Parts: sequence; structure tokens; C-alpha cells
Amino acid sequence: MTMNYSKHLGRQSLRGLSKAGDILIPGDDTLPAFSRTPYLTEIDRIADWMTPQDREGFKFLTGLFSVLPSPVVRGLIKLADRAESLPEWIAPPFRMINVGVKGVVYSLYYTDLTASHTVRRELRWSTRCGPLAPPPESEESARIEEAFRNARSASRVLRKIPLAERLRFLEPLQEVIQKNQNRILDAIQRETGKSRSDAYMSEIFGVLDHLAFLQKKAGKILGDRTAPSGLALLGKKSQVWFEPLGTVLCISPWNYPFYQAIVPMTSALVCGNAVVYKPSELTPLKGLVEDLLREANIPEDWVQIVYGDGRTGSKLIDQKPEKIFFIGSSRTGQKILEQASKYLIPVELELGGKDPAIVFDDANLDRAAAGVLWGAVTNTGQSCTSVERVYVQEGAFEAFKKCIIHQALRIVQKVDDDGSSDIGIMTSDAQVKIIAEHLDDALKKGARLLTGENWDRQSRVIPPLVLENVTHSMKIMKEETFGPVLPLMVFKTENEVIELANDSDYGLSASVWSQDLARAERIARGIVTGNVSINNVMLTEGNHALPFGGAKKSGFGRYKGEFGFYAFSNIKSVIIDANSKKIEANWYPYTAAKYRLFDQMTRGLFTRGIKGLLLFIFNGLSLESLSQKKRGEP
Amino acid sequence: MTQLNPSKDHPAHEIPSDFDVIIVGGGISGSWMADELTRAGRRCLLLEAGKHYPDDAYPHEEIDANSELYWSGGIEFNSTADIGMLRPKVVGGGSIVNQALVDRFDDIAFESWRNRSGISFLSVPEMSHWYDQAESQMSIQKIPAHVRNGNAKIFEEGFRKNGYQCAPLRRAQKDCRYEEGNDCIECLAGCRLQSKQSTPWTTLKRAFETGLLTLLPEFEVQKISESSQEVRVSGKSVSGMKREFKSRKVVLASGAIGNSKLLLSSGYNSQIPFLGHGFYTHPQYMNLAEYSFEVNAHKSAFQAFKSDDSGFRSAGFKLENVFAPPVGIAMLLPGVGRSHMESMRKITRYACIEVAVRDTNPGRIRIKGDRVVVEKSLNAEDIKRKNAGLEAVRKIFNSTGAKTIIPGNVGIGLHLMGGCAIGNDPKNSVVNPNFKIHGTKNIFAADSSIFPDAPGINPSLTIMALTLRAAQEILSS
Repeated sequence: MTMNYSKHLGRQSLRGLSKAGDILIPGDDTLPAFSRTPYLTEIDRIADWMTPQDREGFKFLTGLFSVLPSPVVRGLIKLADRAESLPEWIAPPFRMINVGVKGVVYSLYYTDLTASHTVRRELRWSTRCGPLAPPPESEESARIEEAFRNARSASRVLRKIPLAERLRFLEPLQEVIQKNQNRILDAIQRETGKSRSDAYMSEIFGVLDHLAFLQKKAGKILGDRTAPSGLALLGKKSQVWFEPLGTVLCISPWNYPFYQAIVPMTSALVCGNAVVYKPSELTPLKGLVEDLLREANIPEDWVQIVYGDGRTGSKLIDQKPEKIFFIGSSRTGQKILEQASKYLIPVELELGGKDPAIVFDDANLDRAAAGVLWGAVTNTGQSCTSVERVYVQEGAFEAFKKCIIHQALRIVQKVDDDGSSDIGIMTSDAQVKIIAEHLDDALKKGARLLTGENWDRQSRVIPPLVLENVTHSMKIMKEETFGPVLPLMVFKTENEVIELANDSDYGLSASVWSQDLARAERIARGIVTGNVSINNVMLTEGNHALPFGGAKKSGFGRYKGEFGFYAFSNIKSVIIDANSKKIEANWYPYTAAKYRLFDQMTRGLFTRGIKGLLLFIFNGLSLESLSQKKRGEP
Repeated sequence: MTQLNPSKDHPAHEIPSDFDVIIVGGGISGSWMADELTRAGRRCLLLEAGKHYPDDAYPHEEIDANSELYWSGGIEFNSTADIGMLRPKVVGGGSIVNQALVDRFDDIAFESWRNRSGISFLSVPEMSHWYDQAESQMSIQKIPAHVRNGNAKIFEEGFRKNGYQCAPLRRAQKDCRYEEGNDCIECLAGCRLQSKQSTPWTTLKRAFETGLLTLLPEFEVQKISESSQEVRVSGKSVSGMKREFKSRKVVLASGAIGNSKLLLSSGYNSQIPFLGHGFYTHPQYMNLAEYSFEVNAHKSAFQAFKSDDSGFRSAGFKLENVFAPPVGIAMLLPGVGRSHMESMRKITRYACIEVAVRDTNPGRIRIKGDRVVVEKSLNAEDIKRKNAGLEAVRKIFNSTGAKTIIPGNVGIGLHLMGGCAIGNDPKNSVVNPNFKIHGTKNIFAADSSIFPDAPGINPSLTIMALTLRAAQEILSS
């Protein structure tokens, strides 16, 4: 995609203007250099109104600037600035250069078009059209409106920035994240209570991996594509363009506060959208993401972060973003969908799960147990794709149980700073309550707790809780627990386990463990779910080329991977035809003769073999020539 | 961005071609003329090259206001590029982009006009009737003392300390709602509050209410010709559609440059040798001074005082209590790069006083192909006037504790006057005392293009008064 900011000025002129802009406004400690602002993209707000002569002159001058060495351009601009001290016979052109170049650069820079008014704020310049200003409201409402104002103005700019240029923010962001790794990890651990390793693997590695994927693939996936035009549309060009939606509202949960901030926002950004992001009020990481974006020189308005709880989220939706991307609980997802339906805002929902692990007799039990345990307790069980139900074939049940208990008891649990702890503690007391409730419900209904008997039902330090004798009448097998629980249940046959796995409101992910890959695949196909790992667990998320999303009450829509870009794009179909004299066969006038030919042609088109082709060509050509005639014309 | 106001504007192809009167130019004179003529039952067509904005949709960002509301995308230069002229191109014209200062001319101005034109009604007593009429048709307010900002206070204090006289400003405004914390400085780009008495919501609105006015915006008139029966006016819409309209009478109201250009390109220079001569601009120079405290010249009432000093008047200048938004201030500040940025950081600490020169050296408007060339320079007397003004400004700034003074270099031409001077003698004028172009039967003009010279006083109110008088002439002829 080669898009330009300007209808009038070519790339060279824009480069020259940018060069002159940096000479006039090189930036200082707090004011950005001209080229560091997105304002050049607004050049047509001036160029549209120039006279053709002025525009040609301006194109010539800026073109010249682009090829001249910077010191020479600086000299010219300084000379123009002092045109009054030049002899009168030479002064007029320099006066015009002075007003022309300064006029354009200063208009772009000091009008300060982003809604955040970075420059004007720095100059302490503010005005308001008092009576038309919105009535005084709470600080939060003001912030929400400001965020959307900023985002909407950023989205206008972003729309004009060519894809390749848009992707340029990814690399510095990746570098800044690596540079600030420890600060990020400290903040995550402080707010979530995760182990260092949990935080590192999912939130640092996961984010870097995602950014690498975007850098490698986004350019290709989002580029213009050609679609076949088919025989009937011969000679026309069919294309698919991926265009931004506008402003995307991302609302994220507390379990992966950094990952779920960066991944949705960068996915939306590479597609050319401005982002309004609301983190969970439990893990806001206040100021962290803003700092990183700033350090990566990502224009301030591209991402607006608004802090607050569900009420804030609801007010954000009232601002009518072009898209809502939500990761969180099914209950909240339902509320969001309901509110969005009022405005017909498209929504992607990545909701909860109750993910089964299915272990067959022939599985390598040590590996399966290690995998299932990790899948159940990683991030202290606070993942939407955590293993929350374990179905073990009867022949392997006892052995597998032993393995699990053995390994579960050796889990190291603390909030460490050196990566030596397996799991951390729970992030929220509310979730602790739910886990206690599910556990007690299960025990009351006959389940047996095999590990973690000492947990007092209140402490956030919840050890792995392995249970047996569980049934689908228990909450722990039906509702999302979101904690380090492993309820084990026996099954006999393939069909039975598919029934069991599908006996759930959710369908986010599943894992199947077996030596027999054909069987594992049968199971994988039989489960209604968004993701399946065979002989592994929670790994589809580990490949950023794969889409992620759920079935049933686990939500809908996909993000990440190629399909993930579709969530954030307006996929535009375009047909380009020649501006010829030709009148199309399907345009007026309709005549009986044309109808007959059309019928014959259609028969040809849908009849196999050379006969059909000939019928199509012959009647198509006759129809086309007949179509050039006006009604009544012989 | 073409926005037609469906209840008022008509696309070019839908408009009938025959009218009682065609008015060329929808600025102050054109709007007031439309009001007068439609009230008297005439079917009028108003042709305007600029856009007709809905009342609340004027471009209020500095970048857009500059580009969209003026000819040539903001600024036009004289041939030596030392005067930048701001020529409005929008329905409402000067009343959209001006500061709405409404002052009557004094006898100094009229005496000079009488001398040049030989027309006796150009006098304070004879014009007072028309001034009364004009003033009665709009809301005029004096800027109250409690809304004066730092810039105004420096202006007043400096005048007092130096023994100069100043007076509170009289503006055509209705309700700037200062008490609600309004400091929009949007007067120069329409007025979202509809406080400023711009013509779209005053005279033009009344004209529309008669049902007799047709407005065609974004249509530039290129030629005018006259037969014994009718006047033909032709031109082109912004979309490229050419149209010709005809009427019994035509009023030219497209200002000094617009009227001169139209008549010149229609070949009237052969019969009217003075056409395009006698062009004046009141060159204005904005001078900044840095103070050690926050002046906040952009807060509250943007402009509150005017000079009212007989010494200044006889020395040929006046001083204005003005300021500009950031792009404007950036253009005024000299320097390149860091030094300029440093200066910009002091924007809230600058005060500004503008010298407006009552220029004596007549300029000339010519056409070269389809372009206008404006020859206009300052003679020794004009430069003396400018320097006298600057000297007074220095005294005012210095006596009020300014740290540094940054004199303005670029002349700004906001009052574009002359080119079609009114007068008895066809040898040195273009419009006769009945506001008719010499040698024509039915082509009139009453706007700033007919000014015989620079009055040294803001022209809006006098344009209105002359237009009212001309309307009377047209209706009775």
C-alpha cells in the first residue's frame, strides 16, 4: 500500500517540508520537534486552499529543500527570516519564502491539532468558548470525553499513515519493553502477586513474541489483496482492502495486566485504529504503559488509557467506539454486549472457560500429569484457559492421580524475585471467595480433597487443590473457578468423554493426551471449543500465528494471528472497472432479445466442458454488442 | 466540504437566470444591500465566491480558519511582498473575520474625501442619518471595564502615563457572555456564539425571511456586461459549472480587489481610466513586548480599547489593543529554531499593540492574465507615520515595564479600500455620486472599493452607511 498524506505534495516535497519544519522547530526538552508530531499529515488542510500558482511554487521550494543539504536549507530559511535586512531588489522572494514556509509549518504545529493539545498546553495557552463548553462534570466524565476526543482525532491521523509507517512503532516498543523488563515485572508482581517466572513467561515473553509476529506478518496480511474476478466479470479488477475501523475500546481483565494491555492495543493499532484502553481496576499498572509508549515515541493520542471500574467501562461504551474488544468474565461480557447492542457497536468477547483435559490410558502419564498440573495452576489458576476439569481414562486413573499428587505437593509457592517460585498467590479476595465456595460445594456433595487440605478458605495463598469423586452436579465442574484446582474424574469411552467435555456452558480450550493421534484428533474434533492442544496444554495461545477465541459462552470473535486482524479492520471490497464507453449487459434497456441471450449465456456459464464455454462466449459477445444499443435502435 | 444550507442556498443549475438585482459579493455591503432591496420587494440574487457555513460550523481551528476563509488560502501579497493582505472569501465577508469595530468617520476623513471626490454629502452631518440607520439595525456594545485583560491594562496604563487618550472599544456584538468564562478568540473566524453581528445572522437572515433572496455561494463572477435592457453576469461555480445570470441592475460588492478585478477583466478600463487606481490598505504592524509577568492577552475580552488621541490622528496613525492566536504570534516572532521556540514559550507574557497607518500613497490594482497584481508601497510620509506610531508604542511599552520590544516587520492589509473611487469627475473616479459606475446605466457599487482614500478609521460602519444610502439611490432610480 503506498498511500500519501497529501493529494498535492509528493513524498519528496513532504520530506523537504519536514526538513524545513525541523529547522524551524527542532524541539526542546518538552516540546517535540516538528517531524516528531503527526501534523504533517494534515498538510492538505492548507494545500487544498492554495492557488495553483502558490501550490506549484510551494512544491518546487519544498522539493528543493529535500535535495539540498540541511545547512543550506537552514541558511535559506535564516536569510528569509531576515529578509528586511536584504537589499530591496532581492528581498521580495525571500519575504514570500519566509511567510510561505513559516506559515505552513507554524500553522501545522501551533494549531496543535491533536485533541490533547500537547503544544498549546506546554505554552500555557488555553481558550474556551465558555457557553459552548460542556457543563462542569465529574473529573472522570471529563477524562472519558477527552480520551475519546483525542482518540477520534488520532484516528483521523492514523487513517492517513501508510501501513509500513504505522508498523514502525513496533520495533521501538519492543526495545523499550526489553529495556524496562524489570520495572514491568516488579509492577505486575506488585499488583497481581504472581511468581516472577509466571510473570516473565506470559507477560514479557508473550508480549515480545506477539510484537515479533506483528512485525513479521502484519505488513503482508494487511496489504491490499486481489481477488479473482471470474469469467462473468472479465476485465474488471477485484480487490480487498484492509482499512481501520476508527476508535477501538479495549477492556482487559486483571489476570495478565501487561499482556492483555499490549496485545489488544497493538493489534488494533497496526490495523490503523486509535485505542481507548481500560485496564481492570484491580491491576491498573497506573502510568506504566503510558511511560513505555512515550519512551517508544508512540504519538500520545494513539492510545488513551482510562482507569476505572465497570461503571467507567459502561461510560466508555456510551462514547460509541467503532468497536469493543473485551477480555473478561462471561457475566461482564453479557452486560457489554447488551449495552453495545443499543448502539449497534460490534463486539469481540473473549470470556471465561471451564477447560477440560482428557487423559487416555496410553498417554505418557508423567508428561501428561506435569502438563495438566501446569495447565491447572499456572498463574495460580487465574487464566481463562486454565485446566479446570480433568477426565482420566479408568485404566490410568490411579497412576495418574498419584503422579499429580506427587508433583502438586512439590509446587513452590511464593512471590519471589529471582524466578525460583512456581506459582504466586491469588490476585483478588473476591476470587478467593469463589474458590472456597466451589470447594466446599464439591466436598459437601461427596468430593474428596487430595491436596491442600490446610488452606483456610481465606488466605490468598491457595495451594494446588486436587480433588476426586467429583460429578457434574458440582459447581467445581460446571462454573468457572479461576483458581489452582484439579478435579479428577474417571471416564471409560471416547464417546463418554466427549459427552462429558461438551457438558459445559463454556468452550474455550481443551487438551487431549494420548499416544494414539488419530483418536486424539477424533476427540479434538468432537469437542465444541475454540482451541485444542494435543499432548500439550494451553499452547495454542503460545503460537501468535493461530487465532484465539471461544465457542459457546466463552465468547465469539477471534484475535491474534491473521484472523485477529479481521477483528480490527474494515474489510473493504473494491471493483475497479475501466472508464470506457461500454454499457454493461445488466444495465438498461432490458429487452426480450437480451433476456434470451442472457439466458443462453448463463446456461453456457454453468455447463461443463467446451460446449458450455463456447455457448458462454458466443452468447456473451452477442449480448455485449446488443447492450451497446439504445432501446429501439436496430 | 461543500455545505449547502438547503433552506437558503441553491445549487447553480437550479437557479433561474432572471432577477431584479444581482449582487456580486456577499460581504458586509452585499448583505446589507440584499436586506434593503428585498425589504423593498426586489428579487435578488446574491453571488459569493466563498462558502456559506451553517451558523455553528465556521472553522475555528487556526489552521482551517486561515485557509478556508480567505482568498488564496490565507494571504495575498502586494508585488513587493511587504504587505500581506487578508481578503475574506466567505458569505458574510469582513463581518465574519473582523473584530467588528464600529466607528463613525470624523470630519478629517470626510474632508479629505470631499476634496478628492467633490461630493458634498460625504460629511459628518450628511452621513449621520445613514450612520444612525446602520447603528439602529444591530447590537453595539462598549467593552465593559471588568472584562479587560492584562493586554488592555498595559494599553491603558501606557496611554495614561504618556498623556495619550484612549477610549473603550465599541463593537458590533450582542452577548459575548464573558461572565461564563468565555475567552474563545474566535471573532476572527465566525462567531459560534452569534454574538458578533456578522451578516449571516443579522441582515442576511432578514433578507432570507422575505423569501426574495437567492444565494449562490462558491460561485465566482468573472465577467459583467451591459446592454440597454439588462446587465449580464457570468462566472463559474467551484464545481466548474458555468452560468450566466441577468438582471435589471447589478450591485458590485466584492471589495476593492474583487470589484476592480471584475471591471478590469470585463474591459471597463478603456472607458474608466481611473479604474484600479487609488488603492489603500491601512498597513498594520503588530508590535509585541515581553513582560516579566503573565499578561495573558488572550484571556477574557480580546480587544477592549482603541486610541482616541488627536495627536495620533494628525500624525496619521492609530493604535489598536490586539493580540493573535499562537500561529499568528509565531509568524510575528523573528528567529529560527530554538530561539524562536524560546520566544513562543513566552506567549502568555507578551502584550501587543498594533500601529495602523493611514496610508497616503495610492496603490494600483492591475490584472495580468487572470491574476491580480497589487502595486502598493509606502512612501516617505507613510513610513514617517508608521515610525511615529512605533515610537508611541515604544513609549507605552517602556513606561509599563516591558523587558523587550519586538517591532512588527510585516505590514498586514486588513482594510482593503479604493480602486473604484467615488467622485464627480470621471477622470479621477470610477463611481458617480449616485453610486453608479461611470458610463454605465445599471451597475452600482457602495462598498470599500469606492473609498477615495484611506480614512484612518475602521471602515465597516461606513461601508454599511454608504450601502444604505446607495440602496436608496438604487430603489429610486
